Formats: sequence, structure tokens, C-alpha cells
Amino acid sequence: MYAMVQLVLIVVQFVMLLALAPFIVGVIRKVKARLQCRRGAGLLQPYADLAKLFRKQPVRSSTTSWIFTAAPYIVFASTVAAGLLMPVFLSHTPLNFAGNIIALVYLLALGTFFLILAGLDAGSAFGGMGSSREAIVATLAEPAMMLSILAIALTAGSTNLSTIVHQSALLEGVVLAPPAHLMALAAMFIVTLAETGRVPVDNPATHLELTMIHEAMLLEYSGRYLALMEWAAGIKLLVFLTLIVNVFAPWGIATSVAPLALVTGTAVYVVKVAGLAVVIGVIESMFAKLRLFRVPELLGAAFILALLALVFFYTLRG
Amino acid sequence: MNDGRGAVEQVRGAFARAIMEIGVVHGVPMLRLRTQDVPAVARYVHTDPGLRGSLSLLWVVDHRPREARHELCYLFTLAERKDWLLLSVDLTQGEREFASITPMVHAAKWYEREIRDLFGLIPVGHPDMRRLVRHEHWPKGSHPLNKDFAWDQVLERAQGEYAFRKIHGEGVFEVPVGPIHAGIIEPGHFRFSVAGEPILQLEVRHFWKHRGIEKLFEQQRLTDAVPLAERVSGDTSVGHSLAYCQAVETLLGIAVPPRARYLRSLFLELERLHNHLGDVGAICNDTAYALAHAHCGRLKEQLMQLNDRLTESRFLRGVNTVGGVAMDLSGAQLAHVDAELHTIEQEFGGIEKILFANASLTERLENTGVLSERIAWDHAVMGVVGRASGIDRDLRRDRPFAAYHECQPKVAVYRYGDVRARMRVRLDEVHDSIRLIHALRRQLPMGPVITGPVKTPEPGQWALSAVEGWRGEILYVVMAGEEGRIHRCKVRDPSFVHWPAIQWAALGNIVPDFPLINKSFNLSYAGNDL
Repeated sequence: MYAMVQLVLIVVQFVMLLALAPFIVGVIRKVKARLQCRRGAGLLQPYADLAKLFRKQPVRSSTTSWIFTAAPYIVFASTVAAGLLMPVFLSHTPLNFAGNIIALVYLLALGTFFLILAGLDAGSAFGGMGSSREAIVATLAEPAMMLSILAIALTAGSTNLSTIVHQSALLEGVVLAPPAHLMALAAMFIVTLAETGRVPVDNPATHLELTMIHEAMLLEYSGRYLALMEWAAGIKLLVFLTLIVNVFAPWGIATSVAPLALVTGTAVYVVKVAGLAVVIGVIESMFAKLRLFRVPELLGAAFILALLALVFFYTLRG
Repeated sequence: MNDGRGAVEQVRGAFARAIMEIGVVHGVPMLRLRTQDVPAVARYVHTDPGLRGSLSLLWVVDHRPREARHELCYLFTLAERKDWLLLSVDLTQGEREFASITPMVHAAKWYEREIRDLFGLIPVGHPDMRRLVRHEHWPKGSHPLNKDFAWDQVLERAQGEYAFRKIHGEGVFEVPVGPIHAGIIEPGHFRFSVAGEPILQLEVRHFWKHRGIEKLFEQQRLTDAVPLAERVSGDTSVGHSLAYCQAVETLLGIAVPPRARYLRSLFLELERLHNHLGDVGAICNDTAYALAHAHCGRLKEQLMQLNDRLTESRFLRGVNTVGGVAMDLSGAQLAHVDAELHTIEQEFGGIEKILFANASLTERLENTGVLSERIAWDHAVMGVVGRASGIDRDLRRDRPFAAYHECQPKVAVYRYGDVRARMRVRLDEVHDSIRLIHALRRQLPMGPVITGPVKTPEPGQWALSAVEGWRGEILYVVMAGEEGRIHRCKVRDPSFVHWPAIQWAALGNIVPDFPLINKSFNLSYAGNDL
């Protein structure tokens, strides 16, 4: 019986990540459109886009290798696997034994690595440019992300995400070290914008190949490969948003498998993630994109914030 | 034109023996030179501190069948005197070579390559003898603007390859962009040589949409070619048609009625307005600041719908006609324009405040794509781009046409030459255009809006006309042929001058900033390719 419940929970979490990701993308687009006084496409438009892409015949350049066709599956699978390692609506996620925060970071890095390879594979100039830029952003974002989560992990005394989330959730809104907490949150938020290709680091809405980062690596993709890549990008965004809401503000998450707790936990989670998507939409409407060579400065700031969070944590504890 | 004569006297004093004839064509002083003296005289006119001539146009006329000669004309704008000076030289039958002035006057670079392609005349001493207009698939010896080239012939397809300038070195690679782009943009090829992100060299390779406009003009009658002029560059319909009409009116001896002159200025300012608004939005969009883009796009749309209500054309086509304007505006319509512009200026003021307050936007625009005043001067850059680099030139003030004698613009000049300066010139000009339209409406005289021709021009007579369009100076040279036909029509959109300059503005910038630089120039491909 216990195993059955755990299995069902895993499946539910899996389906939820896949189903919710396009919705989050739709929310961000809608917010941006409304702020521009446009009506904007419906919230379900990203689902329709994915369905359309899955039906289309993919075109493969003759200069590509197996990496090109394998990459979409690897990127998609690694991103979803990362999503299964972390608590979504239940603080003790069934798969928490399979890997801790470091495993999660490296699963995402694996996806990024193959994305970079895929960008280079077709040999087009734009893909190469996108890959080199993505490599810069990823290498700079990763340490900041690790440090910021470690600052929270120290409070919980564990690198296991479920333990971290469960312990903070039980505190019900009490933050042990507020300055450290806030700084780590800020660092994590910057990393999220960078890793998921949002303004001010990248512009997901542009058609200008020369300015692209993430989109440049996808330029050669079409059909179901493109659909997988876009879906994976949406899931990656959702994974980061989930990390933020559950690590830094897990209150409301289900701490037991009681049906009522699960339902409220799910509802609270969706509201929180959608709220964060609105924040991202507002930020994208307020700021211009950074000059490419300013991006390392921004990520440097994120790193310093995360480092300070760690220092504060130790000094405040005396 | 006393100043013009002063310039002629000065040149004659320095080069007495080189000058074969001195004349004045419709108020433009003209010196006919011996072939071999052109480079020396051009250099003198270009560099002398009292003249500071900037090469505005270089064109060739094939006088066949009347006379077996090609005539080269060099038009200089004298910066110190705000006047024109024309040098001309003849190549009689059989002569195919002329001395290039590019080594002395850099701005002649593209004109001379264009002449070589379209007339088969060879600029001896030109540092870059590659083809410009005729891509390599054109067969050898096909020079379409010569009179012995039939306008409707179909050419065979030849083989050939364009040699891009190469930069060698470790880690240097080339990024080819276009001519097919991801967005809805005209075709143009950009070849970047980059070391990582910084741009070491940019070469633009255009002329993918050569439509043979100048040859097509030669198939038309003087009074019929306005629709063709309107389509040289679709976003500058009024600018091009006005420049064409003015040249033809000079030939036909037409004095345009005052009300028509005012309406022409009004339409020209309306065209400037909607284009500048669109450009400001597009510049913001290229920094991913979509909010400003959306609002500027909304205002631009309002203006284009206003255009549509006034003239039944969103692009103000069919407004200009030889002899005046094709439609009059009623008092109610003018009041409507006033009211509409009033609300647009208020809303635009709000957007402007947001733009200036947004530090992240300013950070992107400042010091990006700097075109120094020196390089701008060397390339004879003018218009919006020139005024952002400290080149204080505006034909509306310097050689007033239409109603600009009576309603003078305030010329916005900035010195930094970066993307922000180009945007600020546009912001200032939006306000000034609205002010001008209000002023034009207040002073609008009553009377007819069109008048008929007075005389028929002799074959070989020609006229020069210049209009400050929203991009910059639009120049037309129209020469009359037999029975009221066009013998030659030279079209010069400012884009032809600014494309070479953008190659310099991009240097030292990083690749992802180029679209922004390009958008701040916003040049026409159609007007360039012809």
C-alpha cells in the first residue's frame, strides 16, 4: 500500500510538472501583453503551440550528427528528472532518496551541456554564438545557485531538498536568519532569470539572431524536436520557480499525505508559482535587456549575495 | 546666390587652367572641368577650410543618341556657405576611364562603383574595384543605364563569387547574416569578422532587390512618373514624390501655388512623425524593452490611420502630383489633424518620460554604435544620423523648399553619435514636426492647390531637387528627353550614403549590439538598391 501511494505521488508530480509548465509560460506572456495594453494570446496558447509542433514533420540538417537528434530527449529527460527530485506539492517527495540538491544542479547542467552541444552541432554561426554565450551564463550562474541553496541547507542541516523544505515548512513562517534568507533568495531569483533565458539576460521574444542566447541554440530545430526543447525550457523555468517557492517560502505545502493536505498543498503551490510568473512578467516589462558583457556582473552580484548569505548565517549564529 | 559665385571665384583663382566653362543651372553654380583635373579640384573643394565641400551626389548621364558622350557630375554641399557647387566633366565617345576621386574624397566610394556597374565606366585609381550593384550573376558587359541597353531584356545567368574582405588571425571567424532574415526585414547581407563577441570588421553586401528604378524612369513621361517615385522606398512616399515633383516643376516652369506648398510641408511632416515614432519604439524593442515599443507602435498606428482618413492612403501615396497636391484638406480635416496631434503629443510626452527615467534602457543606448563626427564627415553623412554626430545640416533650413521659408524647423543636433543621440534627434524632431504642423495650419493660405505647366523643356535640360525626408536628404536629378519624356533620373536616398557609414559605427561593438545600431540608423534597402 505504501509503495502504491508513493508511486501514485511520483506519477502525479510528473504529470503536474509537464502540465503546468506551458501554463506558466502563458501567464508570463499574458502579463507582458496586458502591460503593453494588448489583449495577448490566451493562457492556453503554449499548449496549442506544442501540439502543433508535435504534429509537424521535423527537418534535420544533413550536417548534423546523432547529438542533434538525441539532445532534445536528453534535455527533456534530465530536466524532468531534476523536477522529480525536488518537493513540489508535498514536502517529502517520494524520490528524495535518489539525489540531493547537488544532483539536481548537475541534472540541469547535463541538459545545458547537451543543449550547448546541439547548438554547435549543425555548424551554423548563430548556433555557435548561442552556445558560447550559454556556456558563459551557465558557468557563472551555477556557483551562485549552489551557494544560495547551501545557505538554506545550512539552516536545515541537510542538502536533501525534502529535508530542507520539510523543516522550513514546519516552522510555519518563522525565518531563522532573515538577512541570510533574503540575500539567498535574491541570488536565487537572479540565477533563475539567467538560467531560464529571461530579460534582462536573454530575450525569449526576439527574432534577432545576433542577440539570442537560448533561442540561437534552437534555431535549427523544428517539429517534435523543437516541441521537446521548448517544453523542456518551460519545465526548467517551472523547476526554478518551484525551488524558489518551496525552499524559501514552503509554507502551505503538504507535510503529510493526508488528502486534504495534498489538495491545499497543490492549490497553494499553483498560486505561488503563478504569482512568481506574474512577477517575472512585470520585470520583463520594466527593464531593457542587459548588454551581454554586463551579464557576468549581474551574476557576480548574485554570487556575492549568496556568499554574504552564508557569512551572515555563521556570524548571526555567533 | 552671391555666396555660390564666391565659391566659383575661389576655385577659379586656384585652378584657372582646369576650368573650361562656368555656368549656372537653376541657381546651382557649375564648373566644367578637364578630365584630368577633376581629382585635384575635388580635393581642393573638399578640404579647403573656406569651402569644406561634402560630396552630396555623383551621377552620370549618357547623352546618346543626341550626343555621343557621358557626362559625370559631382555635386558638393559647401558646409561653410550652405550652398551647392557642381563640377562636371565629359567623357567623349570611346573614353571609358575616368580618374577616381575616392582616394581624396572618401564619400565617392560607392558612387564610383555604382557608375562602373551601371555605365561600364572605370574609375581609375579606385581602391575597391569589386562589383557593387551588379551581383556576380550578371553577365560581363551588361551595363543597364547605358542607352544601348534595352530596359526589358532578360539577362543570362553568369557564375562568379564576391570576395569579402578577410581578416586572418587566431580565433577570428566570420558570421554571415542574411540576406534572408528571421523577422520581416528587407534583404541585406552582413558579414561580420569577429574575435569572440567584439566586431573587428563589418561588410554590408546589399543590392539584392535591384529593380532597375532609374531605367524604369527613363521609360516614363515627366508628368507620369510620380507613382514610381513614391515606390522607390515605401516608407518615404512623400519625400521621394516631393523631390521628384520639384525637379519636374523646375523643368516645366511651374510655380506651385502657396497652399499646395504648405500642404506638401504638412504631409512631409506627417510622414516624418509616423516614421520617427515607429523608430523610437523599434530601438526600444531591440533592447527587449517591449513596453515602449507597444506604446510607440500604438501612436504610429494612430498616425497612419489619420493619414488614411485624410488621403485614403496610410503611406500618404497619391498626395503629391506635378504642379501641386492632388487633394485639398478642408478646415474640418485640418482641425481634426490638430486635435489628433494634440493627444498624440501628450501621450508621447508620457512615453518620453518613461524612456528617460529607465536607467537600464539608457545604459544600453549610451556609447553604443558611436559614429564619430570625423567619420560622419568623411562619408558625407547627413539627416538624422548626421545630426546625431554633430553634422549640423538640414535642407529645410539650409535650402528651404515647399513652405519651409515661412515655417522654419528647429534643427536638433547632438554630438555623441551613439544610439541614444540618434534616438534623441528623433524625439526632438517628433515635437518639432508637431509644432510645424500646427504652425503650417495656422498660416495656411487659401487658393488653388494645383497649377498646370508653363513650358515644355528642351531635350537635355535638367533640374536638381533636394528634400529633407525623415531619414535625410533625398536628391533627384531629372533630365528631360524628347517629347516630354525622361532622359535620365538619378535617385539618391540617404540610405545609399549611410550604409557604408554603418560599417564604421559597428566597429568595436559586440555582435549582439549590432541589431540595435542598425535599428538606430534604420536605413532603407529598397531606396539603396534602386
